[in-house]
Amino acid sequence: MGNNNAALTRSGSRALMRQPELREVVVTPVADVYETSEAFIVKLDMPGVDRDQISVSVEPGRLFVKGVMAAQHQVPANMIFREIGTRSYVREFNLGDGIRRDQIQAVFEDGVLTITLPKTDEVKARHISIK
Amino acid sequence: MSLIRWNPTRELTGWTNDLFNMQREINRVFDNFFRGGVLADESFGLSYWTPAVDITELDNEYVVKVELPGVSKDDVKITLESNILTIRGEKKQEKEAKEGNYHRIERSYGSFQRSFTLPTTVKNDKIDAVYKDGILTITLPKAEEAKPKQIEVKVK
Repeated sequence: MGNNNAALTRSGSRALMRQPELREVVVTPVADVYETSEAFIVKLDMPGVDRDQISVSVEPGRLFVKGVMAAQHQVPANMIFREIGTRSYVREFNLGDGIRRDQIQAVFEDGVLTITLPKTDEVKARHISIK
Repeated sequence: MSLIRWNPTRELTGWTNDLFNMQREINRVFDNFFRGGVLADESFGLSYWTPAVDITELDNEYVVKVELPGVSKDDVKITLESNILTIRGEKKQEKEAKEGNYHRIERSYGSFQRSFTLPTTVKNDKIDAVYKDGILTITLPKAEEAKPKQIEVKVK
């Protein structure tokens, strides 16, 4: 019995090692953050992710982005060059006050996720006319 | 740059993989520094970066995947010259982004180029390239003489 178990464990771990893709690789997507007079804009590079596999959620003080690449369940045996692989993207941002949380928009195009966070009127730059 | 065969044993266990990633990260930092990536400035024309690539060899073709998020497909050029495949182009910064007030810039902009020597001949006129979700996929069918041949052995 003990021997059987050991054999199972061994073959089990070997099977896992043969499919490294099944391990979830999580990377932090690179991001640009900039500010215009109307909004804060966050751009994240998330190449290879399907639009349906991206989730953007807003909690008080927090913006959470996740994208999962469709898993290839087998590594092709004849992979010559491998730098991309399969992976998930996860990133979190702190949100300050002054953002209209109900009007946040996200667009995914050419592998780039663009999130627009409109400013509230209180934080927009005001021009004061001189009398 | 010539092709280096991917070594799957590098990914066998978690810690060797982490070590490999760490090494890659260190290489990236050094590469960026010596190529001017850190000090990159568009006005000096020094700004360039290296996209990540996957290459798979199948029986009938090679499949090359290049990560090009945010690059317009009109700004990419693919050439094949005596078995050297070159992908080059430019990633331009969006206009409204240039006018904004920046808090953080991590994404790469500027010119990029990568070249690979293919080990066998390819049908030049049958090369296909598709750009979707930030990934450029180039399919290069092998020429007839390069395909693996199967010889049937008759058993009497």
